Amino acid sequence: MRNVAIVGAGQSRYGEFPEKGIKELFLEAYKDMAASVDRNYDPKRIEAAYIGNLGCGGFQLGNMSALVSEYAGLAYIPTMRIENACASGGYALATAAMDVLSGTHEVVLAGGVEKMTDVSNLKTKYWLGVSGDTEYERLAGTTFSGLYALIAQRHMHEFGTKREHLSMVAVKNHKNGAQNPKAQFQRETTLEKAMKAPMVASPLNLFDCCSITDGGSAVLVTTAEKAKEFTDTPIYIEGFGASSDYLAIHDRATTTTLEGTRRAAERAYRMAGVGPKDVQIAEVHDCFTIAELLAYEDLGFCKKGEAGAFIEEGHTEITGDKPVNASGGLKAKGHPIGSTGTGQAYEMFHQLRGTVNKPARQVKGVERGLLHNVGGSGGTVAVTILAR
Amino acid sequence: MAHVSVPMYWRTIPQRYRLVGHKCRKCGNVNFPPKGVCKYCSASSDFEEVQLSGRGKVHTFTLIGAGGAPPEFAEQEKAGGSYPVTIVELEEGPKVIGQMADVNPKDVRIGMPVRAEMRRIYSEEGVIRYGFKFVPATEGA
Amino acid sequence: MALGISGYGVSIPRFRIRKEDYTKAWGSFAAAGVNEKSVTGFDEDMLTLATKVSRRALESVPLPPAQVSRLAFASTSAPYTEKLLSGTILTGLGIPNETFASDHTTSTRAGTEAMIAGFEHLAANPSGRALVAVADAPTASMWDSIEHGMGAGAVAFVLSQDDVLAELEGHASYASEHFGERFRPREEERLHDLNVKKFSEGSFVTNTTKAASALLKKLGRKPEDYAHAVFQQPDARAPASVAGKLGFQDPQLATGMVSAFLGDLGAASAPMGLAAAFDASKTGDRILVVSYGSGAGSDALSFRMVGERRSAVSVAQEAARKEYIDYVQYLKLKGAIK
Repeated sequence: MRNVAIVGAGQSRYGEFPEKGIKELFLEAYKDMAASVDRNYDPKRIEAAYIGNLGCGGFQLGNMSALVSEYAGLAYIPTMRIENACASGGYALATAAMDVLSGTHEVVLAGGVEKMTDVSNLKTKYWLGVSGDTEYERLAGTTFSGLYALIAQRHMHEFGTKREHLSMVAVKNHKNGAQNPKAQFQRETTLEKAMKAPMVASPLNLFDCCSITDGGSAVLVTTAEKAKEFTDTPIYIEGFGASSDYLAIHDRATTTTLEGTRRAAERAYRMAGVGPKDVQIAEVHDCFTIAELLAYEDLGFCKKGEAGAFIEEGHTEITGDKPVNASGGLKAKGHPIGSTGTGQAYEMFHQLRGTVNKPARQVKGVERGLLHNVGGSGGTVAVTILAR
Repeated sequence: MAHVSVPMYWRTIPQRYRLVGHKCRKCGNVNFPPKGVCKYCSASSDFEEVQLSGRGKVHTFTLIGAGGAPPEFAEQEKAGGSYPVTIVELEEGPKVIGQMADVNPKDVRIGMPVRAEMRRIYSEEGVIRYGFKFVPATEGA
Repeated sequence: MALGISGYGVSIPRFRIRKEDYTKAWGSFAAAGVNEKSVTGFDEDMLTLATKVSRRALESVPLPPAQVSRLAFASTSAPYTEKLLSGTILTGLGIPNETFASDHTTSTRAGTEAMIAGFEHLAANPSGRALVAVADAPTASMWDSIEHGMGAGAVAFVLSQDDVLAELEGHASYASEHFGERFRPREEERLHDLNVKKFSEGSFVTNTTKAASALLKKLGRKPEDYAHAVFQQPDARAPASVAGKLGFQDPQLATGMVSAFLGDLGAASAPMGLAAAFDASKTGDRILVVSYGSGAGSDALSFRMVGERRSAVSVAQEAARKEYIDYVQYLKLKGAIK
């Protein structure tokens, strides 16, 4: 499909910023997006905005999208907060694409923003713990680290995946993140350090878990026709797909596959008319290192159970044949929940155009990339395929 | 705090105190915890209540450390160290998540036989919430 | 048909602390004759223990919960001072909501008080089945010597007039006014004891010997008729004076002396000793059990073993399932560090 395209993409710095709230973070992302449009950008042309967000900065539960839109000078447009936990951004992007495809609007903003570091540790753990199944999973004593740990333990049991494989994800993503000036963490780490970190929920240790982060991102979506007014190199949304799954992982047929990823990817591939082999680069949802390994399998990059070998063989390094998370992933770049999905789009927009902000992590000559955005432990998933 | 209200917690007492499951009259599978529509056949809301035995096997587990514990369990972790959380495959078929108790965390294994038992889960607004945890099935009756 | 006990179960939390750990912390250990005692885990309380032990007692008969016609729960350390406690147990077991369920809570005599309530129900309802659940883990300030011996345990009995393993021969009680010993005023968290030693000992001996001798007289029995005699055990030495006055010998007290390895079980003290005596008894043996609650009162019950069936898990087996903790861990579990 070549009917919808992205013509601009921006992202704020990801990190911890006591001086910035959700309004300021959204503004930063929005301005970065506006500056990235090659020509003819005019805020008055934006007809709608879909903004991914989970916690509303801890204070504004209702009408949050109106708040940040008008703050950025976009009052009076139809705007909606999209919430599917960590998949909010990916769903915001899909919603924007559907809006444009339907012909309702021609120029639409899809973005996301999250402010996670304002509230107390206790409140943060509350927010982090209510996107899984609160009634049973939370009250069994887990937050997301525990749920992904249950998945990791079973994956290791069924397929022989090793502790080293988990840490390889952390090492790769921190290496990539060190080349990303907007990443929360820009320092490399070693395999030894990653393996020896304190245990959070066995087998996942501190280095297997992404951090909490503040940040925002925004992309400009329009018709393929209109795109020519803005740029000579639009990035097409070739396909998108989404899915949900049973919220509690114990309700699922298997704990070693994210059925949501599998189905969302299937739908995206079908719409785009391509398969996993045609994807040359990907940004996947590595909220925990095991999540990236699962993504290799469930997106069809390798067979079920072979993710350990896949990373060990180096396929997913920037220099490999299937670079994954050149941005540093959630692990190094950070994970501002509502922003992550559109933040992935920001990275891919620049990777496909060859305009990444630091050459060291630019993957050369890629034409098609995949975005993989997961809500919580897989209750919701959005997959997007972008292409030159 | 988890903010599970008193009535909301109370509605799940048959499951939490006694492991009451819902057997689908159409396909015969047991839904536990219950669903509005059978999650196996997606075709029926006609269930009969069945008393589950509480016995099962560990399907997967994790040991939750201080960094992984929700606030309701922070004190428990501080007082007793990391606690095991498991997904148990019950005899009757369904899988359910639950904490383990009365076990040395180092001894928890996939495949370990376990049995449900009533324990204090946590306290909110002064009200104690009871529910099931799993203990090794080898101990006593 | 004989009125009696058709099933029983015991449950002891697995943590233990030794007297040596107290001595390390305080320089001495005040509970005479107690070597170690049981401690509840972080997620256990008297309602979870009562539910667990009740299930064991019901399974030992076996009796489906739906057939229980009377429930009596006893404890001095339940997690609420006002709330219908037996409602939680009834719901946890699946006992019919229409069942008369009672809570017995204000002294360590509550265990036998609940048992007698169960027997009275059966006298009026011969085909009924009563479930008596006793779970106690008394607490006091860590600064008070009365705290040293306090342990934790639970016992449950199924009472009926059908297929009993122990027949109730009779019971007698004594109640009086005695204050200043082991009391807790309404607004206060701490258990008080004024330590007027001779006065309190006098209350213990008076109430228990009055109840026990009244029973022996009513039944025309002598101490020699009993294979086992179980007494309330605030520590392991308290029974000696009572036993001596009544004419019982040390060997008769041996099987019921659970405080030596479990501590002071409060309302579950005499019941746990009775369960231990059941475990060790043979058909034909007689067992006397005498409880005591400060304030004060005592119940004496006489049983005769008539059946072979015993609990699947004995007191000794439960007691053998243990994990030692040190004093700091003890303080954490007791919530004493604020």
